[in-house]
Amino acid sequence: MSARLLGLASLVLLAACTDQTVVDRASDPRAGFGFVEDGAKRSTGASAAWAQTSAEVAANEARVRALVAGKTVGPETAVQVALMNNRRIQAAYAELGLSATDLWDVALGPRPRLEIGISGIGEAGLARSLEAVVTGAILDLATQKPRTKLAETRFRQAQMMALADTVALAAETRRAWIDAVAAFEVSSMIGRAQGTAEAASELAAELGRTGAMNRADQAREHVFTAELAAERTEARLAAQLAKEKLTRLMGLYGTGTDYYVPDSLPSLPGRRPAPSNAERLALEHRTDLAIAKLELEAIAQQYRLDTQTRRLSSADLSVGVEIERSDARETEASPVLAVGFEIPLYDAGPLTSRRGALEYSRAAHTLAQRAVNARSEARSAHAAVTGTYNIARHWRDEVLPLRREIDREALKSYNGMLTSTFELIEDARDGLEAELETAKAKAAYWRAESDLKTVIWGPIPGGAE
Amino acid sequence: MNRRQLLTGGAGAVLASAAAAETRFRDLPEAAFTDSPYTQVPDRPMAGLEYNPVVTLNGWSLPWRMNAGVKEFHLVAEPVERIMADGMMARLWGYNGQSTGPTIEAVEGERVRIYVTNRLPEHTSVHWHGLILPSGMDGVGGLSHPAIAPGKTFVYEFDLTKSGTFMYHPHADEMVQMAMGMMGLFIVHPRDPAFMPVDRDFAFLLAAYDIDPGTYIPRVAEMTNFNMWTWNSRIFPDIDPLVVNKGDRVRVRCGNLTMTNHPIHMHGYDFEVTCTDGGWVPKSARWPEVSIDIPVGAMRAYEFDAIHEGDWAIHCHKSHHTMNAMGHDLPTFIGTDKRRVTQMIRRQQPGYMPMGTAGMADMGEMSMELPDNTIPMMTGWGPYGPLEMGGMFSVVKVREGIAPDDYSDPGWYVNPPGTQAYEWTGDMPEFARANGPATQVTPKSHLKHDH
Repeated sequence: MSARLLGLASLVLLAACTDQTVVDRASDPRAGFGFVEDGAKRSTGASAAWAQTSAEVAANEARVRALVAGKTVGPETAVQVALMNNRRIQAAYAELGLSATDLWDVALGPRPRLEIGISGIGEAGLARSLEAVVTGAILDLATQKPRTKLAETRFRQAQMMALADTVALAAETRRAWIDAVAAFEVSSMIGRAQGTAEAASELAAELGRTGAMNRADQAREHVFTAELAAERTEARLAAQLAKEKLTRLMGLYGTGTDYYVPDSLPSLPGRRPAPSNAERLALEHRTDLAIAKLELEAIAQQYRLDTQTRRLSSADLSVGVEIERSDARETEASPVLAVGFEIPLYDAGPLTSRRGALEYSRAAHTLAQRAVNARSEARSAHAAVTGTYNIARHWRDEVLPLRREIDREALKSYNGMLTSTFELIEDARDGLEAELETAKAKAAYWRAESDLKTVIWGPIPGGAE
Repeated sequence: MNRRQLLTGGAGAVLASAAAAETRFRDLPEAAFTDSPYTQVPDRPMAGLEYNPVVTLNGWSLPWRMNAGVKEFHLVAEPVERIMADGMMARLWGYNGQSTGPTIEAVEGERVRIYVTNRLPEHTSVHWHGLILPSGMDGVGGLSHPAIAPGKTFVYEFDLTKSGTFMYHPHADEMVQMAMGMMGLFIVHPRDPAFMPVDRDFAFLLAAYDIDPGTYIPRVAEMTNFNMWTWNSRIFPDIDPLVVNKGDRVRVRCGNLTMTNHPIHMHGYDFEVTCTDGGWVPKSARWPEVSIDIPVGAMRAYEFDAIHEGDWAIHCHKSHHTMNAMGHDLPTFIGTDKRRVTQMIRRQQPGYMPMGTAGMADMGEMSMELPDNTIPMMTGWGPYGPLEMGGMFSVVKVREGIAPDDYSDPGWYVNPPGTQAYEWTGDMPEFARANGPATQVTPKSHLKHDH
């Protein structure tokens, strides 16, 4: 068969090769976002919003303003605002959109630039080029199904990445909210400690006035107050910077920054953290594992495609289209600790190229290590929640009551003129320090609690502690 | 601790014949115990030689028996609980249920046999302070005889060759055992009851303890910084008064087993020291006093005729010894304006009350919550207000018509009209004031007489 005839026959074929259902799906303006929305709701409890037009952006901003303006923002609101208003996440959603257009493009099928070819018909020397074009088109046509499958895999990967970015942003935002609130709590406690220091300072000054305290001892009381004032300024700055980070993650600027965070973190929950199912949930839900798994799939598909292309190009094109060899697909389950995670082991046979086998192997090992890490992170996160809970509860239930008893007894000793006002103040200050440590322990618990929520869906931004 | 002192109850009876003592020490005199912290007036002696018993302030005298002409006592060294004052109990070591231990009374020329049973967790011994006796009876553990091991009973036996005012206390791990309250009076009466007779004969021992408020046991390692200054291990306001009938001849015997001297001062009288632990002081050697300094480890007895009716303070003149537990590291807050400070502290300590800005008298008036097991450093209420005293303080109450054996508190003295200080509400008389530090010589011109 002459090349020309083949070309004409191919043109007929080409017209009917568009995969209409995939095209319909991929050409939707919010293609694939439903998956992200659904995942975001389940993982963060907040709704993901993809603002594609300036009108949508403006509407989002208006809603955000209504949520935060002049208000005290809780962790849920903070996360919700971040998901709506953080431009980094909008960029990630745009990536998803781009991936959808890639899929759309592939699904439409080859669109040979026939006008070029046809214009050249009859002129010597152009036949070859037309042939090449047509051959390419036929090659595309012949491999369209695997190419569409690969594009779909990449698209699913893009969805997962968009979800991963969403989870990460939510985690970062929740963490920033905790950090900010904790910083304000610490700052106000240092303020109270400073109040007691000022009382001692004032008393020292008075004793100096009556002649009962020498200058050195007065200075000792004053210097403590002065040092504590510096500490308080530092704490205030730290709180301000922590809030600024939250503001940044929520994408706020200008008058949008006119919001508040609570003065203190919520108290510890009454119940100890439940036994862990985090490891199992992480293996089920982790976006990084899903992405790596899809990568493996994509590599397999890519190399099967390459092999096919190579084979096609060397085969007699007139034979038509040899489409797909069926996969010899094997799986191996490895149940460990009653929690299993499957790494698909494709038959490396079809991956004829050594490069393909190596790339596949690299991706498979990366996935395996990622799974190991995910399981460990989940266990660590649960251990951290349990541990920080116990520590915070110990401070609250053991240390603080003792401190309060010390305060009560200190007052009695003072009443009996057994100890001086300065000792009373010092005990009060020690009591405040214990409250400060208790607050810090509580903040550590809430951070761990947030990490445990996150680790089920993806790695903890900035790494686990 | 086998006996517990009770807060309630009047003059407690001597609990004779503990069942265990009877069976275990069939040959021994019964060991008598008491659990009352109040003064128990001893009966006249029923056997042996006649004498006028002493009244041990907030204490009692040890019962005895005669055995073939020998006066036998049974002292039991043991842990005890002593109510130092209402609201303050101390876990001490003592004798026969009490610290200080019961007073041993005997008569010059008698032979005494004293059984000493050790129920302490460590060995002990008894030294008979001031008595003349054989070296082997002197009670210095390891020197005079082996120390008395826990659970063992030793016998001391000697003749009382002289009369006077003496003490007994351990001489084995002495520092600890005395810091824990082991001591007692040993009174030897003159053979002749007509020798220097008195109508009332009071006796007490000075003992100091360091018991932190909220604790119960003394810190035995303390050397100087004591906070419980006691007479017979009691502190004011719960030291009984010295009740005297007007016209009585009164003797007060006082021994010092603290680590510092005590100038004991009595108001209303001058008196003379008539006896030390060395013996009686001849009339020609006495001189008048209103305070006697009692050195560490010594005894003094002074006498006076109770001719001035009234309520007369008797106390150690070291003013910190008339205070109960108090902090010694307190700044002086006198003249300090604490208004702002009070507001600031109350944010953290809502119960804070500013004190000491006008002195410490507010301590005696306010009744604020104190640590457990302590009493205010200055306390006691008189008929006209707070006495602001503690520790080594009591009142000599001289009244008309008190029966010879009556030592019960007659209440506050009512001053006859015109004999009490009163407030002046008239014009202020002129008064002089000195400002300069230089010696000012009073002009003598107005003293010059015209000749």
